[in-house]
Amino acid sequence: MIDNTILVALSRQVALRRQMDVIANNLANVETGGFKASDILFEEHMMPVAEATSALPADHDVSFVIDTATLTDYSPGPNQQTGNPLDVAIDGEGWFAIETAAGERYTRNGGFLLDPEGNLVTVNGDKVLGDGGPITFDESDGAISIAPDGTISTEAGDKGRLRVVAFADENALESVGSNLYAADEQPQDAENARVRQGMLEGSNVRPIVEITRMIEVTRAYTSMSSMLQNIDDMRRDAIGVLAVVQ
Amino acid sequence: MKALQIAASGMMAQELNVEVISNNVANMRTTGFKRQRADFQDLLYQNLRRPGASTSDTGTIVPTGIQIGGGVKTAATPRVMSQGNILMTEKDLDVAIRGDGFFRVQLPDGRTAYTRDGSFERDALGQIVTVDGYIIEPGITIPEDARAVSINSEGLVQAFVATDAEPVDLGQIDLARFVNPAGLEAMGDNLFLETPSSGAEQVGVAGTEGFGMLQQGYLEQANVNSVSEISDLIAAQRAYEMNSRVISAADEMMQSTSSLR
Repeated sequence: MIDNTILVALSRQVALRRQMDVIANNLANVETGGFKASDILFEEHMMPVAEATSALPADHDVSFVIDTATLTDYSPGPNQQTGNPLDVAIDGEGWFAIETAAGERYTRNGGFLLDPEGNLVTVNGDKVLGDGGPITFDESDGAISIAPDGTISTEAGDKGRLRVVAFADENALESVGSNLYAADEQPQDAENARVRQGMLEGSNVRPIVEITRMIEVTRAYTSMSSMLQNIDDMRRDAIGVLAVVQ
Repeated sequence: MKALQIAASGMMAQELNVEVISNNVANMRTTGFKRQRADFQDLLYQNLRRPGASTSDTGTIVPTGIQIGGGVKTAATPRVMSQGNILMTEKDLDVAIRGDGFFRVQLPDGRTAYTRDGSFERDALGQIVTVDGYIIEPGITIPEDARAVSINSEGLVQAFVATDAEPVDLGQIDLARFVNPAGLEAMGDNLFLETPSSGAEQVGVAGTEGFGMLQQGYLEQANVNSVSEISDLIAAQRAYEMNSRVISAADEMMQSTSSLR
């Protein structure tokens, strides 16, 4: 028979292991451009027990811990100067719109490149969208300059404007890997977004916070383990004492 | 426990980052070298609870689900094709490109390679060659009795022969441009090769339609900035350490589980 103490301790340990995975992912991406750190949220989960309320005192409710959500911190990361003309960082809120095979995706990582056809693409080769679709350069264009409002101009004239979008609820975004996010809702154009050429947004992971959380998780996990050990000892003692037949 | 693999992916990524940085630093004094940068991306996410899933018949939905990432991967190591500093050498066959463009070099196997390293030499036949002896296209031969060689900003090579006061035209050094120079494949020896991602070469004359200008007696230094490389190195090393701390923390957790019995 497993009693509730063990199950409650187990629910905490499972949750802590998940939290550890989230922390590990944040720290693994501490140098990933445009990465947004996430944290896991826990809730108390009341277990509907078969209560014998007529008896006095009444049974206590048993509450377990359950992880309900990973919450992404969408605060901007530090901007780093690179001097590369195709590196663009968004100052404040906003997302670059990217055309992928799976549909439109959004990113904060503005480390763009050109593909053989002269399209502005991400490092994965997905096209970066402007106001009028993908942005294309050709041989006659010389130096590329991107104005704070996203307008791209070259020696051969204007090439359109980078499409920077905003979401009413950024929490509804789903990260799909490769620095990309998917959204169910249609985004609006970000009116006040400013872009900076020659800069890249770094990861917004704060290493000190993550390491502190990691220590917390490890300690909580160890103390749960030693509690389980105590319960086990207690039960063994009980069996040892009670089972002695005189 | 995925934390172990996730942290391992982080350590591998930072290891590669340090490799890229050390190659940049090692080539700080390499003529015409273009620095590289490691670009990282997060891996696929595991959806334990999908955002947007319905939580009741009345239409309430999960506002933010549980997504656990799988770590980090290196997406690309693009080259930063910015202009390097121009250093005066006073050698008449040293040529620097100020602006866009590459010198075209004929490889012994007949292919054409591209370089920004303009430290040219004269071979036994008087041809202008790279330090490895590869001919600079279109192939220019300097006469034996030339007193001085002059290369103008458009790439026209002239020689003052014997006692003549007027220079003789020897030929024109071509430059090549690419739509995506970052897509060129580095083959070592300061040479690059054309790839499908760089696009086809466009050959032209220096100083025209977007091509850079040539400067005789100067060499282009590497575009490596020592301060930013060292600060990148420190960041990479710390990131590596933090990931190794995650591994030991995950190990501690597993050990406390296994010591239960």
